[in-house]
Amino acid sequence: MPMILVLDDSATMVMSLSHILKGAGYEVETGMNGREGITKLTDGMKPSVILTDLNMPELDGIGFIKEARKIAATRFTPIIVLTTESGGRKRDEARAAGASGWLTKPAEPNQLLSVVKQLCPAR
Amino acid sequence: MPDTQAAPTGGERPEANERLVCAILAEQVATLRDRMDASATFDLLWRTTALLSWLSGLMGDLTRHTTHINPVLDRERAEAVTEIAEIRRALDELAFQQAQRQDFARQLADCVVTALERMAVAEMPPGTHFSSADLAELYVSEDQRKLHEAVVKRLGA
Repeated sequence: MPMILVLDDSATMVMSLSHILKGAGYEVETGMNGREGITKLTDGMKPSVILTDLNMPELDGIGFIKEARKIAATRFTPIIVLTTESGGRKRDEARAAGASGWLTKPAEPNQLLSVVKQLCPAR
Repeated sequence: MPDTQAAPTGGERPEANERLVCAILAEQVATLRDRMDASATFDLLWRTTALLSWLSGLMGDLTRHTTHINPVLDRERAEAVTEIAEIRRALDELAFQQAQRQDFARQLADCVVTALERMAVAEMPPGTHFSSADLAELYVSEDQRKLHEAVVKRLGA
């Protein structure tokens, strides 16, 4: 079963995303900020796709993407940013850091699943 | 007309009173933000959708294990399964939308709390605590920036 790593500092968002992704046949791992995400990756986790928020404490989404791209195993792993930010400047910043895609909240479950399935079909 | 503005108490300077008001407001908004948590509601919604899925599957299993099924009952079962799938999809969508709205409201409240906390800091000279540009640095969405620009324009600041 393909695994998705979800990073968001909102417990409700983490639960909500997990519910949607698990319902679509994905295994889900979660973290409450970018630092937790990097710890999981350096501990050997190899997600098929990473979903991250931008505004998080300790290490934000942009910082997380930059650090994740330095880790050999996740250098090319698709990273989708799911955020309330819709501004071009932030989007450019995320793209420059190595983000593969962008979804603006509020998104619909189908939008989210469509992007995730394109990058990694559920089995 | 009487002046209804409260006078500084205890001989304190007006700036000290404003800082106190900011500190109190920061605490109040933080309390409001913490009360926004609706995890129990979402949990109930997700448990409901999981139960609906289970019931739908159970009806299918029962049909497969029944040798002589009444055609009328079978048609009603199929209609119920379709309806369950539709309700489940709608509940999933509702929960996801509500979770995102709540998250956005929480982030807006975070922004207000941070701004008020910084305005309540006593060490800095009056007038240099916090500017509108500092406030703009806290924003988490384009909507906030647009609103900010509209207010700045309206007030000619």
